[in-house]
Amino acid sequence: MMPCYHLDSVARLRSHLGRAYQIVQPLEDVGESAPPLVSPKGYFFAEQENLFVFDGECFRETLPQPPPFVLFGVQSCDLTAIVYQDQFFARDPYYQARRQQALLVGIDCVTPCEHGFCASVDAGPGVKAGCADLILHARAEGGWLLLVGSDKGGEAIHGLELAQADAAELRARDGRIDDCIAAFPDDSHLHRGIAAINRDRVPDQQWQQLGIQCLGCSGCTTLCPTCSCYGSRDLPGEQGDIRRQRFWDSCLYESFQREASQHNPSGEAGERVRRFWTHKFGDDFVKTFGRYGCVGCGRCEQTCPGVIGVHSVMRRIADYAPDDDV
Amino acid sequence: MVSRTTTTICPFCGVGCGLNLRTEGDRLIAVEPQLDHPVSRGQLCSKGWSSAYGIDLRERILHPLIRTPGGFRQASWDEALATIGDGLQQILDEAGPMAVGIISSARATNEDNYAAQKLARAVLKTNNVDHCARICHSPTVAGLKQTLGSGAMTNSAADIFETELILVFGADPTENHAILGGHIIRAHLAGTRLIVVDPRRTRLAKLADMHLQLKPGSNIALINALLKTILDNHWQDSEFIEARCEGLAPLAAAVADAYEGVESATGIDLETIRETARAYSKASRAMMFYGMGITQYVSGTNNVIALSNLALVCGQIGRPGTGINPLRGQNNVQGACDMGCLPNVYPGYQPVADPAVREKFSRAWKTALPEQPGLTSLGMSKAALDGIFRALILFGEDPVITDPDQNQERLALSRLDLLVVAELTMTDTARMADVVLPAASFAEKSGTFTNCERRVQHVRQALPPPGEARGDWQWLAAIARQLGSDQLDWADSEAVFREMAALTPSYSAMSYPRLDEHSGLQWPCSAETPEGTPVLHRNSFPIGRARLIPVHATAIDEPADAEYPLLLTTNRLHFHYGCGSMTRKSPLLEREIPPGLLFINPADARGLGIAHRAPVGVRSRRGYLETCAMLSEDLPPGLVSMPYHFREAPSNQLTNNAQDPVTKMPELKACAVAVEPLPPGQVPRTMDQLNAERGGIGI
Amino acid sequence: MPRTMMSEPAELLSLTPTVAELLDFVDDGEATRRYRFRLRDPNAMAGPEPGQFFMLSVPGAGEAPFTYTTVPDREGIFCGLVRRVGAVTSALFDCRAGDLVGVRGPFGRGWPVTQLAGQRVLIVAGGCGLAPLVCLLDQLIAQRQYRELALVYGARQRSLQMLDESRRRWAQQIPLFDTLDMATEAELGGALLGTPLELMDKILPRLGWLPDRVLLCGPELMMNTLACFFVEQGHSPQSIWLSIERRMHCAVGLCGHCYLTQHDLSHHYVCRDGPTYRWDTLQPVHVALSE
Repeated sequence: MMPCYHLDSVARLRSHLGRAYQIVQPLEDVGESAPPLVSPKGYFFAEQENLFVFDGECFRETLPQPPPFVLFGVQSCDLTAIVYQDQFFARDPYYQARRQQALLVGIDCVTPCEHGFCASVDAGPGVKAGCADLILHARAEGGWLLLVGSDKGGEAIHGLELAQADAAELRARDGRIDDCIAAFPDDSHLHRGIAAINRDRVPDQQWQQLGIQCLGCSGCTTLCPTCSCYGSRDLPGEQGDIRRQRFWDSCLYESFQREASQHNPSGEAGERVRRFWTHKFGDDFVKTFGRYGCVGCGRCEQTCPGVIGVHSVMRRIADYAPDDDV
Repeated sequence: MVSRTTTTICPFCGVGCGLNLRTEGDRLIAVEPQLDHPVSRGQLCSKGWSSAYGIDLRERILHPLIRTPGGFRQASWDEALATIGDGLQQILDEAGPMAVGIISSARATNEDNYAAQKLARAVLKTNNVDHCARICHSPTVAGLKQTLGSGAMTNSAADIFETELILVFGADPTENHAILGGHIIRAHLAGTRLIVVDPRRTRLAKLADMHLQLKPGSNIALINALLKTILDNHWQDSEFIEARCEGLAPLAAAVADAYEGVESATGIDLETIRETARAYSKASRAMMFYGMGITQYVSGTNNVIALSNLALVCGQIGRPGTGINPLRGQNNVQGACDMGCLPNVYPGYQPVADPAVREKFSRAWKTALPEQPGLTSLGMSKAALDGIFRALILFGEDPVITDPDQNQERLALSRLDLLVVAELTMTDTARMADVVLPAASFAEKSGTFTNCERRVQHVRQALPPPGEARGDWQWLAAIARQLGSDQLDWADSEAVFREMAALTPSYSAMSYPRLDEHSGLQWPCSAETPEGTPVLHRNSFPIGRARLIPVHATAIDEPADAEYPLLLTTNRLHFHYGCGSMTRKSPLLEREIPPGLLFINPADARGLGIAHRAPVGVRSRRGYLETCAMLSEDLPPGLVSMPYHFREAPSNQLTNNAQDPVTKMPELKACAVAVEPLPPGQVPRTMDQLNAERGGIGI
Repeated sequence: MPRTMMSEPAELLSLTPTVAELLDFVDDGEATRRYRFRLRDPNAMAGPEPGQFFMLSVPGAGEAPFTYTTVPDREGIFCGLVRRVGAVTSALFDCRAGDLVGVRGPFGRGWPVTQLAGQRVLIVAGGCGLAPLVCLLDQLIAQRQYRELALVYGARQRSLQMLDESRRRWAQQIPLFDTLDMATEAELGGALLGTPLELMDKILPRLGWLPDRVLLCGPELMMNTLACFFVEQGHSPQSIWLSIERRMHCAVGLCGHCYLTQHDLSHHYVCRDGPTYRWDTLQPVHVALSE
């Protein structure tokens, strides 16, 4: 059971945390009901970053050195994605250098957002235990609950005067989250789509048809909070040295796997689209990460100009689901 | 860690998507789409997503450069401006104002373009001012001006969701206007009928209900046959024609024999023509989009007129979900035209030839203005070859790569006594300049862009210009000052806009605060229409009644023959833009360049002994280049296609310079070529290598 | 349930190369060279196994994977075979002796050496695919742990053959068949005309034994068709291995470029889980839809 307090104002918490941490608030208003269009993954896995420099003699690792910072007001979908990426990048020194400096203040969603379906993929709408250091919950009657999710969170609010909330408050929180879950629209296309993917029932032709609609813009992979592919290049540095930079890449680009010999194992758009969705909903990823790669934020639906975001694709492939599986 | 977000507009195509720039200090760290943008709604294309790379400081020109015999040397702004001022003054003194001119940029802001034409007219006293619309949509302006009285897109992006049928004619929107292309996909998936007319099997053609894969250059034959079908079956909107058009009888007479030979000319059977005619005319709302597959022909203007005839006869104009909608290439090609960067019109298409208009601008600018009509960009090139045009100021354009018949263009520029180029990076054109000025990118200046649906949108500065770079209107003003004029001495971009709006009726109710309030305003936006105008021509046309004008099919200038047996057309790739000077700085987009750049039908390739990705030589009557072949069923047999973005293998080495007689638009969409395989394993030589082997072309 | 965040810190990877000196190179076939490098720190690259690979950085040009043809000796000297195909290899070809490069490794899983002991082993390589087998062949021949061993080496044409000297050496120890897809009578020499697949019916009788283990390395299409051929001939899919080539940026299972989806929809990074795979785990992997 997480310790839980009454909090009169979010601003008071923010200014308290601001003493020890730089405050980064992805949403203008913490209480907004939809996550920001851009996920917070870039705070840990930077969109472009230098890995090392070569000065003509030696290669020297260039780790980022951010000050301690707090991501203030992160929704459950994005927090779930951070937990996912914490595993994926567990041994990545650049990710970890940033991640170790961060304190996560989550916020419960209490109304469904336009394209979101976190409840269908066990990623929300309430912030789960183990996903944030502190959790904010807007009470129906006004005011806030503040839940402490980790020791680090507990230390961070040390010295902040807060009244303990009772078990009834926690039950009320659960109730509000349950009400929110109940308010999500029908998600059967998602379950059927997932079954169709994992039973490999979607015909090549269907993937090819969807592939025609992939403009290769990279929007889905850029906004997806769990996408992590990157490319690298060497750039001349300022003092005649050379730096290796890595930058976000997208597996939907035709050239993503194209080799120097021009051989391309995923030269067809349909092939790439299939693989993307297999990566997000393949059962194999559950074995490694304890969950699907998709956290139900719905950003791909919003940003895909070719109309093959998650709902659009799952509706198109749902009919291939085997009857026994739904 | 602390980042700032600046709301601005994407610098690439004419869709004008909302873009946020995230900066940390003086560094651009990310771009993101704007969720609430009225057109793009949280979406971007690959170019937009990669725009952070395009203005990367590497390779940027940071200081003025002056040519010396040994190459460029860095100079101060004072010295560069003095060199420009002295050079211009000398040429003006010796040869008069017709010997100088400005080529402005469809990529620059309205403020920059307004300043460019004002510098030309009010300071240099010449109407020699133009921009690249010449090679994309001048036939649109010329054609629709005659038939409707206005050359812009008549409707808006949002209309895509209010129509029953979308007819895409010679355009590849998913590659070139990706977000609009995406809207078309979305509407189509939701039930809107989609008909694509294109020689290539484009992405939309693959998704469409019908694809009319016509032979290149047979647009008019097809459109006239559609008109005949409609008139023969009385499917026209007689009420609309009666009330709002003139010239039906001559048009009907002209299309009476349109079925003759139409199947062989177009490659489309009469049944398909009939079905298309029925669908388009019977739809309660039908929306037409077209692109350079219409304009880049010797019959470009007539092609546009023919489309206009089709829409007018069916009454598919002047209502939501209808209209004639040219898809304009560059982010601000609409604005550059609106601003009067054309040799014959002042801002707002007010004719130079009209003494009252001249008088109005003369009073506002407090100086006498030239009467003599100006030269187009191609006219300037030609006059340069003849030695009578001697000084050119050019910015944000790389005509050496993007203009047809590059070799002539190079030669023309090399004949100039003074070439001033302002650019972000060293383009091929900049390399030929006498003075190179460091320009500010879209992220480093403020101003406005006008997108293809006539929406004027606010571009905001997110970063300081690097080095000594300056915004375009600022250095244009400095040149004016050098020549003794204070007419361009504005305090800021907003002051430029205010002056322009006061002189431009269709912009007259616009201001920066109002643009911000409305997420952009669509012109005309005047006292009568302060909220702007999403749909043009609702009640009347600018010329009163629209004109139906008979046009006849014109064959392409250079059909395939025994010596050059294949027809070459040009296309664009989603991943690249113009000459690639910005997009090719993205490691991702650069990697996306296909391993071959000549798209060819597998049957043609087999006949020539060309394997997938094999090296090939491509020859036309004008030039030769080498590249690799991409076998693709998207091209019909007999037709090959090349993207024009790449300086290694520029398609404009090959293209035909035959021109539309009205607008001088060159026929970029069709010329005859011969393709031959190179020995397997041979690496195609780049244009630079070929030129070097040939001993160069004297540059 | 999501796993708890930020549990015990794992040992961090390094993506930063270590310095090596380019010692020299010899030409070995068309646009192909065998390079010798010396690690500045001789112990920087611990004990690679045959079939593993290293990442080579040419500063300014980038990084790409290569297989060892010899593994680092006590002085840290090792070799790699490089064919000029892209930016990194072109930049390497422009390097001179004494230039510094960066190396990381070893990475991936090598050939199943222990499962070859006492077995009849047939190795089929195509084109550049011979390079990842050099170490293995040298080691097997030196240690003679097999029952039988033979090599079939296919190339498109004479000029694209590589490792002439090594093949001459091996040919004195084991049966070795060169095949050429295209060749004139004069070019053919002792080689057979055709692809390894086309010629397998002729080669197997000449061996006089049927393989218990088949190792394949070459173009993906060649490996797939040969693997299918051997399975049709009654060989167990568990007795066939192949080595997959993929674009790689990180070599540690992060960048994503080398992904591979297996027939059970399981997800692999070739850099970490490969490059060698047993055929039963790949077959029938989704090949490109067009093929």
